[in-house]
Amino acid sequence: MTHLAPPSVRLLVCGNADRGDDGAALSAVATLLPSLPTALLERLEVRRCGHLRVEDLTDIPANEIAVVVDAAVGIPPGHVVALAISAIAADPAAPTPRSSHELPIDQVLGLAGVLRPGGLPEGTFIGIGGRRFGYGRPLSRSVRLNMAAFQQAIAAELGRLTHVSPEGPAASG
Amino acid sequence: MHGDTGGTLTIDAPGSDGEREFKVPYITRVEGEGTLSLTVRGGEVVDARLKIFEAPRYFERLVVGRTGDEVLDIVARICGICPIAYQMSAVHAFEDLYGIHIDPQVRALRRILYCGEWIQSHALHVYLLHAPDFLGYPSALAMAADHREIVEQGLAIKKVGNQLISAIGGRPVHPVSVRVGGFSRAPRKADLEGVRKALDAAVEQARATVRLVATWTPPELSHPQPLVAMRHPGEYPFNEGRIVSTDGLDIAPQAWGTQFEELHVEGTNALHARTLAGEVYLLGPTARIALTAQALHPLAFEALAETGLRDAIRVNIHRSIVARAVELLHACAEARDLIDGYRPPAEPRVAFTPRPGIAAWSTEAPRGLLHHRYEVDERGHVVHAQIVPPTSQNQGAIEADLAAFAPSVLDLPHAEATHQLEMLIRAYDPCISCATHFLDLRIVDAGRGEGNG
Repeated sequence: MTHLAPPSVRLLVCGNADRGDDGAALSAVATLLPSLPTALLERLEVRRCGHLRVEDLTDIPANEIAVVVDAAVGIPPGHVVALAISAIAADPAAPTPRSSHELPIDQVLGLAGVLRPGGLPEGTFIGIGGRRFGYGRPLSRSVRLNMAAFQQAIAAELGRLTHVSPEGPAASG
Repeated sequence: MHGDTGGTLTIDAPGSDGEREFKVPYITRVEGEGTLSLTVRGGEVVDARLKIFEAPRYFERLVVGRTGDEVLDIVARICGICPIAYQMSAVHAFEDLYGIHIDPQVRALRRILYCGEWIQSHALHVYLLHAPDFLGYPSALAMAADHREIVEQGLAIKKVGNQLISAIGGRPVHPVSVRVGGFSRAPRKADLEGVRKALDAAVEQARATVRLVATWTPPELSHPQPLVAMRHPGEYPFNEGRIVSTDGLDIAPQAWGTQFEELHVEGTNALHARTLAGEVYLLGPTARIALTAQALHPLAFEALAETGLRDAIRVNIHRSIVARAVELLHACAEARDLIDGYRPPAEPRVAFTPRPGIAAWSTEAPRGLLHHRYEVDERGHVVHAQIVPPTSQNQGAIEADLAAFAPSVLDLPHAEATHQLEMLIRAYDPCISCATHFLDLRIVDAGRGEGNG
């Protein structure tokens, strides 16, 4: 009997650790990954993106799902949101990733949707509302207090997409 | 204009007795925030101001107390698109002060790294930011629906630039391998094989890019400005050479401060730069092509000659897209040649002993000459820093071009005038061009009140 492999997930971690709350995703993922079970990590490909680019999305193979993690604007500081990537592309008023620079996020998602075979990759954007993004600033209190919720949301989504419980034995080594 | 020689022009604008004020609200961007204010009274451009708020002012304080290697990691954060330029100006400044002579292969690696940055930066601007202006689209996304192949070509070339930076710098954004005396790690020849193959295609794509953009018709403008760039006798300028100008300037890369100065301008946090005589000047691809085209890679020089636009580039900033495309080809071709000749150095880094003094150097960032100057104490710690980015230096030239160009668009419908002014500013590839819709133009007319564009 042949078992279909669960889908692979590409985790795109956006942000800049030097710019206050823009480093929220990097901080969250850095501390979350060691606690995840090996079975889940084996289905993950983690990419550090800085700012999300069209190529980050068009490079995703057809059989992979994307999870984009970033600080967000358009929601209250500290609030955690999980949205389908396609929903961000479709709704200009949706909370948006903070870390786009080369092109506005609507352009990044739109171009990826046009240029990638099969259109915009399936997947989820998980964001935490940021308060300040200045150079040399620490994470804001709003983000620090809600970091656990941010990590839980990321872990839950990774578990759902990989079909592996994030509560399993942590990876060693 | 405010204190420069940008030129206030009298224009023939029937019915324009009132004052028209073109205002652009601030945009929220990561690396650059700008606003445009253009005031026309009685058919005369009486004020043109591009205000840009650049992060480097903060970085000049952040690097105080840091060693050279720490400075390299910090200044790379100034820009997500041209971090290597900041690292290159800084590392050459410290190595010049410390009397360090780097391995020739390390020198080659640094040129390859700079090629990578020029490739990704120029491809981004030519294809995704500037091309929609010429083809009549509001954005790259709108353009992709009809010209998918152009966008795909641009992204393909840009990806090669990112690959070069990753292979040598450790990662595509804010690379980490550059060190005073060399690199923390030099790549093996095999590490560059993948990107070497990709460069064959990139060279051909870049060559096609030059031919393509040369066919695009820009708005008319004939406004030559003083040009400043680095020039090296044997190669197109990246890290070495002398600072030269169309006015006969010829000084060492450390000596920027002997001929130029930064000025605080009322109403903006950014510093403008002028010659000591108070003149504005233009940096970047236009200046480099005008001043040192003979040092282009033969493929790029040939492509430039085929366009027949070398003189037109000199006087019309809208033609900068051609200059940028030629440099894109140069960077692809030179990177390919350098990789072919690359042999890993015996040691990626040479030892050095810090010494006190002034560490100053200039290199050619994608947008133009980038000057760094550090005062260093006996422990090798920075006690004072000055970073002069090209966008700050170009602000005066942008304003002068706006004053020269605006009269030709004032009679156009508002939306078209807005587009033409946007296009002019984008032609400079300033950091704020990352926001492709930053001109939400408002016209204040004394007789009719304010209207949105």
